[in-house]
Amino acid sequence: MNLERLVEAGEEKGFEVEQDVDFGAGPIQVVWNINVHSALPNIRFGFITLGGEEGGSQDTEDNQLSVRKIEEAAFRGLRSGLDKTYLITENEEMAKSVSGKIEWLASHGSLIRLDAISLGLYPEQQESSVITPSQQRVPEGEKIRKQDEKEREVKFDKYNRPQGERRDKESEEEGTKRELKFDENSRPKGQKKVLKD
Amino acid sequence: MSQQGENSYSEPERRAQEKLQSIDTLKAPVIQLGRDMGYEVIENHDLGAGPVHITWVFKPGSESLPDMRLGFICLTEFSNSSINEGIARAMLNLVDKLVFVVPTETMTKQVKDAIESMPDRSILQLRKYVTVLTPSTLVSKQGIKGARQRRSAETGRGVI
Repeated sequence: MNLERLVEAGEEKGFEVEQDVDFGAGPIQVVWNINVHSALPNIRFGFITLGGEEGGSQDTEDNQLSVRKIEEAAFRGLRSGLDKTYLITENEEMAKSVSGKIEWLASHGSLIRLDAISLGLYPEQQESSVITPSQQRVPEGEKIRKQDEKEREVKFDKYNRPQGERRDKESEEEGTKRELKFDENSRPKGQKKVLKD
Repeated sequence: MSQQGENSYSEPERRAQEKLQSIDTLKAPVIQLGRDMGYEVIENHDLGAGPVHITWVFKPGSESLPDMRLGFICLTEFSNSSINEGIARAMLNLVDKLVFVVPTETMTKQVKDAIESMPDRSILQLRKYVTVLTPSTLVSKQGIKGARQRRSAETGRGVI
């Protein structure tokens, strides 16, 4: 994976850039040392590449990386004393998948908010990598979904029943009978429900 | 026949098999001890971050207090990536304290050193979260009283 862009971008911004370092917890491919103010300690951003070649068998085949690799790399950064650890993948789809998995891992309520320290990126990324929560993307998503469901049901009720057999015309007893018959006759052979005498 | 069966394993499969066997060997005394001590013992506790080999669950006895989980992860060989992965799994699976169970005293030292060699400025103080031991240490230390307990037994007062 070509990380030259990352190195150049760091240097262009005037950060001190280190490559292929190991602070004792495993290799970190690129580190940006950011000097915010002379009175403050440097902030360290680490970039770790994720690939399918280190023994993860089917990794990357479907543009997905295993949770095992993601959490290992994120904690490698933590144990190395990095303030942020960015996980670099081959392409955009993989980066999104990694960020999604990080969000999912963070949602369990652990002491560590993994999504606050780690994120998936791809080398050519220019746009923001921060995932917008679906509640913000579609603020009324739940309402829209329920409304759609209701409309679909009404349509189903209107068009999928023979004339004169609409649900509203059927009594409760008739309904139960119909459901029972449906249950008895719609199972595959050998899986019929045994009815007691 | 059986020889043929054994030979049919490829090298990585054979190694994986051996690893599983040694993990089972390391797990057995931990499970037994947990049960003997009356804790709830869970094998392969997993909330989605990967299995924690054994978890002892302590129930403080009050509904208003949360359960405490002591997790055990068995390491068969030393590597920084397996330590990273173990800590990640434990933390993300809501384990309150982690114990690495290793086969030898030499490995205990290696893993301890790796955990304690973290940079000072790191956000995590892992030595406060992780303990490293061998199964024999765990079993042999059972029933040995700590200094405070010994003192209280001598003076006849309870441990405060």
